[in-house]
Amino acid sequence: MSRRLLLSVVIGLICCRGSYSKWLEISNMEVRREPTELAGPKMIIEYDIEDANISPASPAYVFVRYSSDFGSNWQLVPMDSLRGNGFDIVDRPGHKQIIWWGTGQTSFVDLSQMEIRVRGMAMVRIPAGKFIMKSLPGGGRDESSETTPDSNLSLFYMAKYETTISMYTDYLNEVGGEGAGWNPRMTNPDRCGIVCQSNYTYNVKPGREDYPITYISWYDAVNFLQWCGLRLPSEAEWEKAFRGGIYLDGDQAKKQPNPMPERRYPWGDESPNADGVFRCNFDGQADGFDYTAPVGSFSKFGSPYGVCDLAGNVAEWTLDWYSTSYHAGLDGFRMARGGSWMAVPSACDAITGATQLPLKESSIMGFRGVKGPSKPR
Amino acid sequence: MKSLNRREFMKGSIGAAATFAALSQSKAHAANDKIIMGVMGLGGRGTYLAEKFAERPDVEIAYLCDANTRRFARAREVVEEAQDKRPELVQDFRKILDDRDVDVLVNATPDHWHGLGSIMACQAGKDVFVEKPMAHNVWEGRKMIEAARKYKRVVQVGMQSRSAAYVKKAKQYIQSGKLGDIYLVRVFNMMKHSKQKETGSQPVPEGFDYDMWCGPAPKLPYNPSRRWLNQWEYSCGPIAGDAVHQLDLARYLIDDIPYPKTVAHAGGVNALTDGRQTPDTQLATFEYGPLTLLMEAALWTPYMKKTPGDIRDSDRFPNWPFSSTKVEILGTEGFMYFSRHGGGWQAYDTQGELAHSEYGRQGDKEHQDNFIECIRTRKRPNSDVEIGHLSVLLCHMANISYRVGNQRLEFDPRTESFTNCDQANMYLKREYRRPWVVPDEV
Repeated sequence: MSRRLLLSVVIGLICCRGSYSKWLEISNMEVRREPTELAGPKMIIEYDIEDANISPASPAYVFVRYSSDFGSNWQLVPMDSLRGNGFDIVDRPGHKQIIWWGTGQTSFVDLSQMEIRVRGMAMVRIPAGKFIMKSLPGGGRDESSETTPDSNLSLFYMAKYETTISMYTDYLNEVGGEGAGWNPRMTNPDRCGIVCQSNYTYNVKPGREDYPITYISWYDAVNFLQWCGLRLPSEAEWEKAFRGGIYLDGDQAKKQPNPMPERRYPWGDESPNADGVFRCNFDGQADGFDYTAPVGSFSKFGSPYGVCDLAGNVAEWTLDWYSTSYHAGLDGFRMARGGSWMAVPSACDAITGATQLPLKESSIMGFRGVKGPSKPR
Repeated sequence: MKSLNRREFMKGSIGAAATFAALSQSKAHAANDKIIMGVMGLGGRGTYLAEKFAERPDVEIAYLCDANTRRFARAREVVEEAQDKRPELVQDFRKILDDRDVDVLVNATPDHWHGLGSIMACQAGKDVFVEKPMAHNVWEGRKMIEAARKYKRVVQVGMQSRSAAYVKKAKQYIQSGKLGDIYLVRVFNMMKHSKQKETGSQPVPEGFDYDMWCGPAPKLPYNPSRRWLNQWEYSCGPIAGDAVHQLDLARYLIDDIPYPKTVAHAGGVNALTDGRQTPDTQLATFEYGPLTLLMEAALWTPYMKKTPGDIRDSDRFPNWPFSSTKVEILGTEGFMYFSRHGGGWQAYDTQGELAHSEYGRQGDKEHQDNFIECIRTRKRPNSDVEIGHLSVLLCHMANISYRVGNQRLEFDPRTESFTNCDQANMYLKREYRRPWVVPDEV
């Protein structure tokens, strides 16, 4: 028996620069439910993802969320209950199929009340292997535990772009029913641009879709990423994505040595404004932006792996924390990396970190997600 | 009005800058005038102060200053969010002092810049909000008082607990005699610091004026893995930097007792043997005649906790046995637990029964209010420079006792020097690196 369901599908737009600054476009989605002989019903989700840029080096991260009550409450479908070629890391464009086993866990009573949303995010593969970490002091994971950051990281994937206002607004419209994750500063039209309606629905100020989300606390960032099934990068992961490993194809292949493993900036050692060329969004208008820039605006100057905007635009929350217990008991600072649109050019380098209290909501702070080991080093 | 130009300043050290003061003129403030401030030092505390002052309708932050330009963005962002005007960003604080429109220098630098930065601000006709520990050494603290008095400046030290209402109530309770005669006060400062992991020296990063950062202190090879807090050149030590709050509160509660007669220190670098100079364990006994003040401090006690954030402004008390920043007042008829950070206080009678409780609220806002009010009225603020000096003096005395081999030292308040140890007197004043010299005559 199969039954067609009414589905809601979130479809992203391709931005005019040819880079995907929001969700990747997913089309022709169909969902049906089929019985199995012994394992209960299974859900079949099929869709097309046609972005020609999707490749093993620049895959998509695809996750599925569902509601069984007309969209009132939503949950992430656990990756370990999925099979097929269309979820998690998807490294080829084309027609995809997801088989959702164990739909019995969802306790659907009335299938007509069900909605499913499939979203895709552009990622970059960071192969396993060693890199040179230089950010000290304050750099490194959990200083209080006296561990040293590991310079040999496992394979992980990092979002190609900083999380955008439109992505975050999509998230708010799903989970921000009582204002959770939103704060009034986000209405600032120059530095953010989300409008909250009286019924807690959210709109992006027109034209601000592709700008990075700001005024985000560390907790807001973590909640968004958990909603996606991702997490924040550790400082070590962030820095490796920034300057590349000793071998750009990883320590297993070792065919592509990194010509500049200690580079200061993603593109090399030249200052962000050397020779009148502007390579990222830092303080001032000379780079073309008063405030934040749409993500990917400086994609020519991405990291060796192709991660965009690690330097400048918004400083990015990381997983790591920094204890400054000698300062008025203010333990638990989190580290942010990468400089910002308000920073001097040299602060957009690989090693400069800033400490911020996790509740801080700042117009120079944003974030991006990673998919990698659950306990990063 | 002519001010001393930079070349003249550099040539003559700050001795010459005294003339600058005579030429300086401070503005008289109408009640509705905005107070114009420059903030020097944009670490965590400086950024916090910049934000809090900028949020006030009666204050404008005109300058943000740090030797390290990497620190500009975070502070600028919070100031721009709080006020309409963009502050000017400078690496050299003398630009703030040169601006006649500026009324106040907020000095939130590392310890080694507190003294000279504040003295130069007084000479330039600025009022000063200086972070604790107020001075890097005893002599410098006295010069700060002289400068404040000579140039008639308001100098508030960032020991904000003095401005909290619950602290005043505790003092009144003690003054009422309900604890009897007080013979012992115990001050705690038990923390958990990690070891520093020293690596070699590095090139000075672009955009960092390291020479300016060092200022009056020796210009050691740049090595950020050696924390400045753990080096005598730049710091009074991490214990002094925090314990001074409780020491100050203890002094306040006991009628602002001025000078101890003796100090005896025990402890050293015992647990965090990582190349640091400043001790990780400090037990200091200060004798004030019949009253004894004990300081117990360490950097390796993870079970001791500062008053948690959710207790600080609530109707709750800290877990007293494990309160890392408590003060215990022991009298002949009662005992008091007292907590910093708005943790409140509780008094017990001779039977050990609870006699009185008072919840606390932090005093940061009130401390800033008091500073602004004193700028307008020219009264002395709650944590006046002399109070700051007498409180940090205890930290200096404990450190000096440690540095001369944990000797018991006798102190002469008239000369602010030790009478039984010449070697100890060598630590009363630092050697200043030219041109950043505090002159004998401020």
